[in-house]
Amino acid sequence: MEKRKNKKIIIKVSGLSKSFNNKIVLKNINFQLFEGESLAIIGASGSGKSVLLKNIIGILQPDKGSIKINDTEMVNSSRNLKEKILLDLGITFQHGALFDSLKNWENIIFKIANKEKLNNKQGKKLALSIIKQLGLQPQILDLYPSEISGGMQKRVAIARAICGNPKILLFDEPTSGLDPVTGSIIDQLIKTAVGTVGGSAITITHDMASVFRIADKVILIDKQTISWSGTPKEMFNSANTKIQEFIKPINSEFFLND
Amino acid sequence: MLYLFLDILGTTGKKFINFVANIGHFFIFFGSAIYWTFKPPWYLKKIFQQILDIGYFSLPVVGLTTFFSGMVLALQTYNGFTDFNSESTVARIVLTSITRELGPVLTGLMVAGRIGAKMAAEIATMRVTEQIDALGTLGTRPMQYLIAPKIIASLVCIPLLVLIGNTIGILGGYVIAIYKLNFNPNLYLYATMEYLQLIDIIQGTVKAAIFGLIISMVSCYFGYNATKGAEGVGFATTSSVVISSVMILTSTYIITALFFG
Repeated sequence: MEKRKNKKIIIKVSGLSKSFNNKIVLKNINFQLFEGESLAIIGASGSGKSVLLKNIIGILQPDKGSIKINDTEMVNSSRNLKEKILLDLGITFQHGALFDSLKNWENIIFKIANKEKLNNKQGKKLALSIIKQLGLQPQILDLYPSEISGGMQKRVAIARAICGNPKILLFDEPTSGLDPVTGSIIDQLIKTAVGTVGGSAITITHDMASVFRIADKVILIDKQTISWSGTPKEMFNSANTKIQEFIKPINSEFFLND
Repeated sequence: MLYLFLDILGTTGKKFINFVANIGHFFIFFGSAIYWTFKPPWYLKKIFQQILDIGYFSLPVVGLTTFFSGMVLALQTYNGFTDFNSESTVARIVLTSITRELGPVLTGLMVAGRIGAKMAAEIATMRVTEQIDALGTLGTRPMQYLIAPKIIASLVCIPLLVLIGNTIGILGGYVIAIYKLNFNPNLYLYATMEYLQLIDIIQGTVKAAIFGLIISMVSCYFGYNATKGAEGVGFATTSSVVISSVMILTSTYIITALFFG
């Protein structure tokens, strides 16, 4: 806690509520993401984790509450301002959301190419340097997303998110559908991005092994609100039944010792 | 009985309100799309791709349709006017029908079926797979990147397609007139040139530009607002073709009435 006091707040969510057709999905959500922190958001399917992420990035508009990114209010702010803030973010969507009509390398450098007017050779070179970190083969660069496996698509989406070294990373289930080896490569990458580059990350995940590898802090969304928050180690001592359900399937000793 | 009546009234009212709301949404979308169409930067590569798709790849279907329409028009006109001065009458009717109505309308309907459906399906798929959301987070305005190139290409290509279709349609009439009805080629050509009016060409081109706007706007609107996964993509595709076709057939009357009414 002491360590956090000197750190800058990167994302601050206060009193956020969201409903669809009178059905409440999120109610009074409050949390902060500090500089250099990796936050994992866990919760059952349909608990509103992705909705929370979409509210943060401005795709959805909350009914109530405030979202500040680097002290800039996102709720009800102008589109230009939102776009400017979003340029500093690296985001992956739950199902990748790669552009079908573009080759993988074009997908990866999409944001940078718009800003820096890269030619094909420069673009491919940049994309190659990124996919190497993700254990992908150079051959996939000239293929379209539909021509590679789902796991590869996921990694290309992550490559797109980290291209340009954004300081804030938001991942929606980055390791779902990946084999454990690739999953741990992705986790390592998130850790590196947060630790070495000094970035901050929010990761939505169901993968508890991943949570223990990457997270400094965990929040659980249950019954439309944050029902628990703490460090990964604190999860083992928690009396929260939902937390216990989440950690039950894993070998606690292994992760604690790790 | 009263409850049944109230139920029917409630359902009808709800549908009417939805209908009015959808029209409102469409006009907001229309205004926004026009704004982003004329606002730089323009994605030239995307515009070129769309021109190729809408213009070049629609040529065979437009050419074939207008050619056979010209042929059948010449044949039917001849049957009806066999006792009159057939050369000039057939040439005149083929020319006027093709340039004023058949060329623009058939081209519009063909493009609505071929390109409108494709535009709607492409954008709807991007919507339901979160690609449009992703575009927004990558510093690119979806309206400018996805919609504007389609509108620009439609406005450029469909008038050109109509001009080419008109020429091919008139050629179809000429082929039948000369090789089946044994008309004098010089007389037929002379009659065609004599009755060729600039106002017909202008009217056809104006119609084509309006049809281009209708097809691209309606298709992009349904695609952009698609929901509910694969079912939503299907709904967007069907709706775009049906609504575009109805609007083409309705607006052709209004434009004709404005020019010649």
